[in-house]
Amino acid sequence: MRLALLMMAALMAACGSSEEVADVAPSERAKAPLRVYTVSYPLAYFAERIGGAAVDVTFPAPAEIDPASWRPGAETIEAYQKADLILLNGATYAKWVERVSLPASTLVDTSESFQDDYIIIEDAVVHSHGPEGEHSHGQTAVTTWLDPRQAVTQARAIQGALLAARPEQGTDFEEGLAALEKDLEALDARMEEALGSDAPFVASHPVYQYLARRYGLDLHAVDFDGDAWHDLEHLLEDHPAKVMLWKLDPPADTASRLRDMGLEIVIFDPCANRPAAGDYLSVMEENMARLQSALSR
Amino acid sequence: MKQTLYLAWRYLAFHRLKTFILLTSITLILYLPVGLRVLVNQSSQQLTRRADATPLVVGSKGSPLELVLNTLYFRSDFPEPMRYSEAQKVRDSGLARIVPMYVRYHSRGHPIVGTSVDYFDRRELAVQTGRLFTFVGECVLGARVAEALGVHVGDAVISSPENLFDLAGEYPLKMTIVGILAQADSPDDDAIFVDIKTTWIIEGIGHGHQDVADGEAAGAVLSRDGNRVVANASIVKYNEITEDNLDEFHFHGDLSDYPITAVVAFPPDQKSSALLQGRYENADERAQIARPSEVMAELLDTILTIESFVLAGAVIVGIATLASASLVFMLSLRLRRREMETLFKIGGSRANVGALMASEMVFVLVTGIVLAAGLTFLTSQFGAALVRALIRM
Repeated sequence: MRLALLMMAALMAACGSSEEVADVAPSERAKAPLRVYTVSYPLAYFAERIGGAAVDVTFPAPAEIDPASWRPGAETIEAYQKADLILLNGATYAKWVERVSLPASTLVDTSESFQDDYIIIEDAVVHSHGPEGEHSHGQTAVTTWLDPRQAVTQARAIQGALLAARPEQGTDFEEGLAALEKDLEALDARMEEALGSDAPFVASHPVYQYLARRYGLDLHAVDFDGDAWHDLEHLLEDHPAKVMLWKLDPPADTASRLRDMGLEIVIFDPCANRPAAGDYLSVMEENMARLQSALSR
Repeated sequence: MKQTLYLAWRYLAFHRLKTFILLTSITLILYLPVGLRVLVNQSSQQLTRRADATPLVVGSKGSPLELVLNTLYFRSDFPEPMRYSEAQKVRDSGLARIVPMYVRYHSRGHPIVGTSVDYFDRRELAVQTGRLFTFVGECVLGARVAEALGVHVGDAVISSPENLFDLAGEYPLKMTIVGILAQADSPDDDAIFVDIKTTWIIEGIGHGHQDVADGEAAGAVLSRDGNRVVANASIVKYNEITEDNLDEFHFHGDLSDYPITAVVAFPPDQKSSALLQGRYENADERAQIARPSEVMAELLDTILTIESFVLAGAVIVGIATLASASLVFMLSLRLRRREMETLFKIGGSRANVGALMASEMVFVLVTGIVLAAGLTFLTSQFGAALVRALIRM
């Protein structure tokens, strides 16, 4: 009898090991606020407006840095990897995204729906060095949010992603989006009215393409990250602008020389990074007021 | 009774060789079918465990078994690749969370698994030392790979070229080890994990090279016409991604067109799973969707069919062995006729003599059963490790 039991025990032990096979599915995250990471401040602002208390939005770029040229460190990328949603601007903005590892399921390209409308930068260097043929690195304008109508589309993409992640809070997200849309449409209407001008403009950096396209501005840019004086003088010969847009205050000697050339400097902050005071809407309102004031003179 | 047992024991001990052969035969004939059954059960569990944890796999049309073996076990031939847009399609459907896979390249015999960081969460893999990869060019090693190669965090592994004679093909990429996984007793222990974009760099469709607008690259520039620069093959291409040259790495064209071997899909519920599978029912669809649990069940059915033949063979051999053992006992009784007569003459009853003979047989049979049970127990304890070793081979 004992022998029979021993045999049974041996067989049960063998079969018993087969019972411990069920893989536990990854645990559902607690219903804490959705952790949302973004690659630019406007996306963070839109997510905060739409998600309200249901989201915990992080835009980790340091305040003094242009996020377009920023590259986060490994620890920051690990934080991105743990987010529930990662909001991308698309249009080749934040090129670092291409070179890091982010979870495919959490990425949301907010401008994907209008990618056919991206502005192609015609003067990007095209090169070839192998069987893959000609190519260029970075060839679209990136500051999509400077066109408020595109910003609305991006906000809708964010709302869609939040809704997919938390369907039960859909009503809150819809209300948040409706309020944001209303503000962006009002901003668009005011900018359309304020910027309706045939006057030629120049810009210190090639970042205002979508703004210029939306409001029909006759705007050409040089790149003051390099030695742009020659390009500027050459440009002004055929493009007699009186107003020059800058992202930030230029150095004093640069400002003085520009004034000597008859150019009025207007700060138009693209608001890619979180402003020291105010928010995306207030910064755009201030931009608009400064430009309107310059145009009226 | 005690005396009878003593006499039986002494007889068996004196005829050691005969007793040993009988015991071995009986033990093996009892152990073989039971032990085989245990081993097959454990093999099935090892194989289905991973398949059950992988709800759906999308890949190019072809052999579902090849797709599943490549995606889950990093074995079999490299299946026909499909475009990364297939992964985006599944993701955008909202029916499942996805993990893209590109399992094509190797490093010193170990598979390089291109995937995303979700993979580690889905497989519940923990990092023993270091961290998960964050930048392209970084890799995380399975526990056994690290042990076999004798490498640590901070060292590097180099991808092996697919074809030594393809001089214009991909260059080996030196990848920095940033993490080593804890032992998981699965095929993950034998793999080298990288971001899927790193596998595209290994393939050569993403790369880093000198800036053609830079003065240092002047010697490689064949012609310059405005914004159009043509360089020759002497332009320096980087075979290692470092902090300094990371920004020079780039991908040409639309990433949606880039190759992957599979998408592992994790639907949140049965309904989403059914809907997703329904989307691949169309015969015109260039991709297929496979349920790894079903594919592996089919494979196991084949194995079980083979097992039943083996069992039938074992039973026939068992019957033959038992018949031989019976013959041995009967012949033994005939040979021991004089011994039995002596026992009768010195006063042993017929029952006593019968009991003596029977106890010898029972002793051999019971010992055989105990040994078979012991072997079965050992198989149940160490069979899983043996199966894992066999699966790895």
